[in-house]
Amino acid sequence: MADGGADCGAFRRLGHLPSGSGARLRLLVLSAARRSVALPLVASLVALGSMVAAGCTRESAGGGPGLAAVDDFGDTVVVGRTPRRIVSLNPATTEMLFALGAGARLVGRTHWDVYPDSARLVPDLGNGLQPNVEAVLATRPDLVVLYASEDNRAAARRFRAAGVGTVALKVDSIAEFRRAVLLLGQLVGDTARARTVADSVARTLAAVRAATAGLPRVSVFWHVWDAPLLTIGAGSYLNELVEIAGGRNVYRDLPSPSPQITLEDVVRRDPDVILAGPEGARRIQTDPAWRSLAAVRAGRVRLVDTAIVGRPSVRLGEAAVSLARLLHPGAVELRP
Amino acid sequence: MTRLGDLSAVRFWLPAAAALVALLTAAVAFGAVPLSPHAVWRAVLGAGDETTVAIVRSLRMPRAALAALVGAALGMSGAALQGSLRNALAEPYLLGVSGGAAVGAVSAVALGVAGAAAVPVAAFAGAAVAVGVVLLVARAARGRADPRVLLMAGVIVGAFANAAIMVALADAPPNTTRGALWWMMGSVAGADWPRVAWLALYLAVGGGALVLWARDIDVLSLGEEPAAALGVHVERASRRVYLAASLLAAATVAAAGLVGFVGLVVPHIARGAGLRGHRAVLLGAALCGAALLVGADLAARVLRAPAELPLGAVTALVGVPFFLVQLRRASA
Repeated sequence: MADGGADCGAFRRLGHLPSGSGARLRLLVLSAARRSVALPLVASLVALGSMVAAGCTRESAGGGPGLAAVDDFGDTVVVGRTPRRIVSLNPATTEMLFALGAGARLVGRTHWDVYPDSARLVPDLGNGLQPNVEAVLATRPDLVVLYASEDNRAAARRFRAAGVGTVALKVDSIAEFRRAVLLLGQLVGDTARARTVADSVARTLAAVRAATAGLPRVSVFWHVWDAPLLTIGAGSYLNELVEIAGGRNVYRDLPSPSPQITLEDVVRRDPDVILAGPEGARRIQTDPAWRSLAAVRAGRVRLVDTAIVGRPSVRLGEAAVSLARLLHPGAVELRP
Repeated sequence: MTRLGDLSAVRFWLPAAAALVALLTAAVAFGAVPLSPHAVWRAVLGAGDETTVAIVRSLRMPRAALAALVGAALGMSGAALQGSLRNALAEPYLLGVSGGAAVGAVSAVALGVAGAAAVPVAAFAGAAVAVGVVLLVARAARGRADPRVLLMAGVIVGAFANAAIMVALADAPPNTTRGALWWMMGSVAGADWPRVAWLALYLAVGGGALVLWARDIDVLSLGEEPAAALGVHVERASRRVYLAASLLAAATVAAAGLVGFVGLVVPHIARGAGLRGHRAVLLGAALCGAALLVGADLAARVLRAPAELPLGAVTALVGVPFFLVQLRRASA
């Protein structure tokens, strides 16, 4: 860690910040009185050498939004200067950044970011997990947004060591989406828009929930992958969406987001409806083994629009509407 | 060595056949959905409600059949390799033959020529290349007779195959990677009747050829010089035995991924029970391998239900300790 200079020395005071893994993301709005001291300290955690010294002076002199946050790796994130060159290594956060109007500031994305269409114009930096650190640094980012998976911990450390602002976010649930979009709003300097995005998703979800509240629950098996057979468990936002859309995931008892299961166990749980993507649905309808499911024999295999439901991001509301239409045809009349 | 003659029927064939029948019965009788023996029996005959019939006839029966065929093919492949190479530690997985087959199969799928019929052909090409490389390397080190050099060459070729697959997967979506890793650990979960039929065909061709050439394997197992003295064209005879053994291994890889150590263990069981002569050892290894793999798949299905264990992991847990004992014996 670089020598922060005398006016940065008090960074020890931040020792009480949660630093354990999996710490819930916590925004710390530092009081105006402490701002001039505390913010440079925080900066010293993410920056190196002269950058730190310069940052200290500039921030303490210039003031600015006095914010720091702790990300899902337990690392402190500085919210001070508005980032101009952002790399987002998670399709969900890429969608959020576009929705926040920061799409033009993106200089890197993952291979899988295809929404919105303009995301495809951002340079592709690989598959997002265990990223190529040099390729990311070569885009000269001042903010890197990562998915908070253990695979990315080493890369996050390297970005910080290189003096690049880094935030690792776990975005696996609806609540985590909301936290992430609000934090990114603060980072890119548009908290009002972040709140609008988060609230509009929340309103749509609430509307779908209300529309399906009085309807009988439909038990659902979600076919994610064929070999091995994968479904959604309680740890997936899709499990939440199924619930909101008036369904009940037959594998909600398994904690993993995408547990591996066996076809015969699906038969034992006897779902009312099967949800699947185009390839899965084709397989289910042609393979005689799947005829062991009453739902398949009765033709209750529904095609999921994987483009809409694929990410826990700004289209969560739209996804809930589309699922509600699949589970309760005709009963839910909502515009996405 | 004692000649047991007719006693082998009592010591090996009857118990092995009984074990296979018992395990096949258990594999069809047990699963996630509890079914009474009566309901299972009726479903086997095609009677009963549609769900039960589908569970028994479309899920459990093809799966048990595929496991049996994979085990039989691996057993024969291992027995043929051990005999013709005069190496008690030879088997398709450890010799890198399965790894080569996996590269072939993955390439075929990547190039879009997937299909129950075509993948085994590509896998066979990969397996044949792998076995060729292993033998060339072992011979260059003048070590075909030394079990360790041959195995080292096999392990290295296997590592290379692994690396090639990892490179191919580097940019794949997470679920593709997960699927490929699952496949590389072996599984018969995707069993259906067409796949069973294809594997049966390959087993009939490859296994039939090996049984036909069993006399050659007998002679090759005496060593190159005695074999030549007995009038066997050593090069030609061993080449076609390797190819048939590779074909069997490749067909199993295409049908069920990489399942190791079955080919190592079961020929020893067959010989240990007193079978002599490669015709008997090959058929015994097939029977034993079938029983072992049906049992291993049953364990893979029920031990961690509703999840499944990778089949290759179950066989490795059995096979590795066995391998170590054999290794100690071979180097002693």
